[in-house]
Amino acid sequence: MKIVIIGNSAAGLSGLEAFRKQDQNSSVTVITCEETTPYSRVMLPYYLREKVSYKDMFIRDDHYYERLNAKCIKGKVVNLLVKERHVVLENGQIISYDKLLIATGSSPIRPPINGLEGEGIHHLWTLDDVRRLAPAFLRGKRVAVLGSGFVSLQGAWAALVKGLDVAVIEIMDRIMPRALDARGAELLALKIREKGADLRVGTFTKEVTRTGFGEYVLHFDDGSTLVVDLIIVGTGVRPNIDFLKNSDIVVQQGIVVNERMETSLPGIYAAGDVAMVPSFLDGRPVVHALWPTAIETGTVAGNCMASQGDVYLGSLNMNVTQMFDVTVASMGEFLDGADREVWVDERLAENQYLKIVLKEGVPIGAVAVGESELVATLGMLRPLIRQKIRINGTPRNLKAIMAQNISRHHKAFSG
Amino acid sequence: MRFITMDVKKCVVCRNCEYACAFRQSGNFRREDSNIRVEYHNDVKICLPQTCLHCEDAWCLEICPAAAIVKDEDTGAIEIVSERCIGCKMCMLACPFGNIHFDKINMVSRKCNLCKGDPNCVAHCISGALQYTTVQDSCLNNREIFHRFIESILDINTE
Amino acid sequence: MCDNRCGINVFVENGSIVEITGLKEHKWNNGRLCVKGRLGVDLVNAPDRILTPLKRTESGWQEIGLEQAYDEIAEKIKTIQSRWGERAMSVWKGEALGFLTQEALYRRFIHAVGSPNYFSNDSGCYVGRWMGYAIVTGDWATQDFLYSKCAIIWASNPPYSQPNLTQSIFKGREKDGKLIVIDVRLSAIARQADEFVQILPGTDGALALGIARQLIEDDTIDHSFIDNHSVGFIEYSLYVREFTPERVEKETGVAAARVVSLAREIGGRRPKVSIYAGNGLEQHENGINNIRAIACLDGLLGNFDHQGGNFNAEKPKFRDLTLYSEKPLRHLGPIGADKYPVLYDVRQECHTMTAMDTLLTEKPYPLKGMILAGANPVLTNPNSGKVVKALKALDLFVVRDLFMTETAELADYVLPAATFLENSEFHCHPIHQTISLSKKIVSFQGCDTEFIFLKKLAEKLGKGEYFPWKDAEELNRWMLQGTGIKYEEVLAHPEGLEYAPRRYQKYKEEGLPTKSRKFEFVSEYLRDCGYSYLPEYIAPAYVRSPNPEYPFVMVTGARKVFYTHGRNRNFKRCITAIPHAEIEIHPSDAETLGIGTGDMVTVTSVVGSINIPVKVVGNSEILPGVTQVTHGWRESNINLIIPDDRNDPVDGFPLMKAVEVKIEPMVKHETENE
Ligand SMILES: Cc1cc2nc3c(=O)[nH]c(=O)nc-3n(C[C@H](O)[C@H](O)[C@H](O)COP(=O)(O)OP(=O)(O)OC[C@H]3O[C@@H](n4cnc5c(N)ncnc54)[C@H](O)[C@@H]3O)c2cc1C
Ligand code: SF4
Ligand code: SF4
Repeated sequence: MKIVIIGNSAAGLSGLEAFRKQDQNSSVTVITCEETTPYSRVMLPYYLREKVSYKDMFIRDDHYYERLNAKCIKGKVVNLLVKERHVVLENGQIISYDKLLIATGSSPIRPPINGLEGEGIHHLWTLDDVRRLAPAFLRGKRVAVLGSGFVSLQGAWAALVKGLDVAVIEIMDRIMPRALDARGAELLALKIREKGADLRVGTFTKEVTRTGFGEYVLHFDDGSTLVVDLIIVGTGVRPNIDFLKNSDIVVQQGIVVNERMETSLPGIYAAGDVAMVPSFLDGRPVVHALWPTAIETGTVAGNCMASQGDVYLGSLNMNVTQMFDVTVASMGEFLDGADREVWVDERLAENQYLKIVLKEGVPIGAVAVGESELVATLGMLRPLIRQKIRINGTPRNLKAIMAQNISRHHKAFSG
Repeated sequence: MRFITMDVKKCVVCRNCEYACAFRQSGNFRREDSNIRVEYHNDVKICLPQTCLHCEDAWCLEICPAAAIVKDEDTGAIEIVSERCIGCKMCMLACPFGNIHFDKINMVSRKCNLCKGDPNCVAHCISGALQYTTVQDSCLNNREIFHRFIESILDINTE
Repeated sequence: MCDNRCGINVFVENGSIVEITGLKEHKWNNGRLCVKGRLGVDLVNAPDRILTPLKRTESGWQEIGLEQAYDEIAEKIKTIQSRWGERAMSVWKGEALGFLTQEALYRRFIHAVGSPNYFSNDSGCYVGRWMGYAIVTGDWATQDFLYSKCAIIWASNPPYSQPNLTQSIFKGREKDGKLIVIDVRLSAIARQADEFVQILPGTDGALALGIARQLIEDDTIDHSFIDNHSVGFIEYSLYVREFTPERVEKETGVAAARVVSLAREIGGRRPKVSIYAGNGLEQHENGINNIRAIACLDGLLGNFDHQGGNFNAEKPKFRDLTLYSEKPLRHLGPIGADKYPVLYDVRQECHTMTAMDTLLTEKPYPLKGMILAGANPVLTNPNSGKVVKALKALDLFVVRDLFMTETAELADYVLPAATFLENSEFHCHPIHQTISLSKKIVSFQGCDTEFIFLKKLAEKLGKGEYFPWKDAEELNRWMLQGTGIKYEEVLAHPEGLEYAPRRYQKYKEEGLPTKSRKFEFVSEYLRDCGYSYLPEYIAPAYVRSPNPEYPFVMVTGARKVFYTHGRNRNFKRCITAIPHAEIEIHPSDAETLGIGTGDMVTVTSVVGSINIPVKVVGNSEILPGVTQVTHGWRESNINLIIPDDRNDPVDGFPLMKAVEVKIEPMVKHETENE
């Protein structure tokens, strides 16, 4: 059997590894349009703020493919011929497959703002982006970050750490709508401002102009302006599916897959940011565009390509990061709602926030802002969400319940 | 493979293991430095030591976006290479047992590495609750056990 | 690092000790150590260790040479003894410098110089239980937990005080055993108890008598043992009849039904019942009798010297270093022996609290000189204020220690001492009937062992003939003479050499080691001394006649993981983890008082007041109205407010575990310009 995997990042690599665990014989070809050995996108902001070195961003060694008995081809896929089972590269090379995994991820989109162009406009998405950005990331430079998602804010934090003047521009009336609830966002916003960033929410950028010095001027809807040296755009992404335009594969916000990561076309799988996978909580297809989801879905895809054994329980979004000297984490459904019970841990200190959301007694999500140990609590909560375990009594007992669970687990081992 | 088993019928939450581990990590008795944590849950009367189980297919290892978590081939220990760790805490979120902690001084995550095969916590456990043992093959896959035990408590209400 | 004497490996690099680990083969600890054990490394290498003799002068401490110090001390002893009589000298043996041999050597020395005045910390800890049991069974047996079906831990917290004992308790329980913990506090061991019985301080005797009553009523007693090997059962059984479950409930706070079920549980598991009586039982006004009442349970259950019960181990028959038979000095009136004759007769301990009075009043005769080794009575004896005054009254106060303790600060001479790692001494683990010999690992110039010190001093005092051995090895070989054990053989068994095979129920052939050779439910000896014949129960004062001014009853002395009494406070990492004393308070009391964890309170007894931070503990961890404070802190030294005149009439133990106090939020002093 000939396996082809497009993409050598989180989803592609997990797919390859899972597949190889089960099938050591089939030939596997991995195609990537990036030049280097696999690196971690998540580490890019950490590199920018010099937490890790350039070489540390590479997460697989030079002999990786050799060891896994896989071939890696550098090149951009431009077409997929479904009937022929052919993948066509930009240079014309044709690679045939029996089973295909599409793990091409996503790319940032540039919002339609007049004047948002030139060498000072950056994204923070790929190694190339960062290689271009790093030399401009100099103390005293002024940077505007458009968007306040996870990635944008990490870019802003890196800039602050490096001593840049930072402004964060968010069009919505609060930050991180996809990853935090209102209270959590408020706490984080406080921290962001405390660290010295100029955070502007509910601010629409009408157009961007340039001065004679090469500076960029952002013009906002309220008439105010902001002069900066560079702009990082992080206002959204779209799946990398240009090469599928000639196929009739079903695509919505991403390539739609079932719980085995199979697309509408037999033998073709998709995983990671490019795929629209069933959500764990309600089964509806979603694009979570998160590293853990990419790992999980890649693994399921790899397993299913090798046999048909695995099924995906659905994506349960989980998100955590350390920025602006605070830990921010969320998981599952963390927003309030009519049919939901919400528990906030009041025993925590003022600047600590832990909220757990339940539906019919079953936890479905949580948010934490503050100390790092809160993340471990969320971690222990995750299996309860995954296994849909009702919490007896009040969530106040949560710790005790988790203790009970784990003690039972220990007993299984200690006999 | 050998790993540390924790007998909840023996632990008395004396914290010798915590102090022993903290000492190994930092030369001090600061509990936050310890990779094993013990807690007495008064309301449910449970003495609970918690340290890494060095899972087969460890969740933390799989998820680490910095490839900072590796398996030691000799001891089977799942270890964090702190030089590679970016401190993103994804592993803390991934571990279903809360066995990864954060080192606020170096801003990296930390966890048990089995002290290269001679765990200091076990050597200082005076009740015999901690053992460094080989568990029968049928139990080897923690993940499996974990799912089985989760199934068995699906209805906590009956407790 | 404590009296458990776990087997250890000591690692030395370039002449210094760098690591201590548990000895795998050692039967007591099986290779495990508590974190205290490893502190041995820090102890020997401590930067604040005293390495040169210090002499008090007008202008402060003066460093002097060792020979000079010994000479001056010897001269002063001679002066004191010629002026005030030989009994004006005394010694006080602590626990910080050595073990059994050290005790015997000090007893030997003081008799050699003609005084009976040997004091020790044991008369405030341990000896009470030893005596209580000795009165009933002739000895204090050890607990055969490994084979026990029912382990009873009574007023003790082995995880902190005898860490590695915990292993055997749980190993024993693995095979269908039960663990019963009787305590005032939900201690570490209580967390794992199958039955945790929370009792009011000092009322344990009533519970023991109540259990006895129920055992007899249910007829779950060992008639053959009682008929053949005991005295006084009839009187005893008549006495215990008064202790109905209802009465016990009233006295102890333990529900009547619980008393019954407890007795049934225990009775049903007899004779494999091991009872460990802890330090929480002594240090009460009626401590000895409470302990006797517990010891009497052995007679009913037939667990005395039974496998899985309380095993009365044979002791190694070392040659006796003390001079009590060779040179008895009872006639010289050992301090306290008139008031507490049993303490002296049974244990040859002088009474430390009386010593303080003697120092201050010169009654019954002047006590002028004292050599104190590895003890810190300023922190560990009751009424610390008085202790300080009394010790200051000494003409000659010599303190041997590793560190400048609160007590050493009062000395005329502070002499550098050696740690256990600088000495070679025998250790015995009765439960396994093994002995071992610790090795001298390192030595420091000028830090003599207690043996060498006493030998040199005796020589200077013209009593060299009592210390003929040239070094520790000679002494150790001498001690072994007649035991049939070879020195080399002991050396070859660091894990412990079994000196005699374990035998159970030895009383069947040999009788019990009491005077009557029987198990004494009643004690004629005590009656003859004017004490109660029966293990009589007297309710503690706070129950008998509560004083509304002092509504709380305070227990003191619960151990912390790495502190042994006053020791180890100078190790930074210990202080990092447990930085200060605290008073443990029930949440409901805290609420009434309007205080929370970390707040400062003033605790007052009839003796005085101290300020101390609060720790509000969990609901079930302590009873409302009861509080606990751990001793051994320089700041918030709880013994400042412990009375030294409310002693158990039999053993003279001070009341430290049921002291009436009041607790108030601390009043902050206004600043001056307000
Ligand atoms: C700066 C940054 C920080 C992030 N931080 C976090 C975080 O903290 N937590 C979190 O959960 N997530 C984070 N993410 C998101 C996370 O990195 C992605 O969810 C994850 O990388 C998705 O993996 P993937 O394998 O699906 O796709 P990608 O990582 O995007 O990889 C796509 C792969 O496909 C290849 N490819 C694409 N198109 C083609 C083509 N036409 N031909 C050939 N090859 C192609 C690319 O070369 C690449 O190898 C971050 C992302 C970024 C950019
Ligand atoms: S998931 Fe948790 S328990 Fe498992 S190996 Fe990782 S840290 Fe250890
Ligand atoms: S905190 Fe460190 S070890 Fe944990 S997932 Fe992040 S990089 Fe990996």
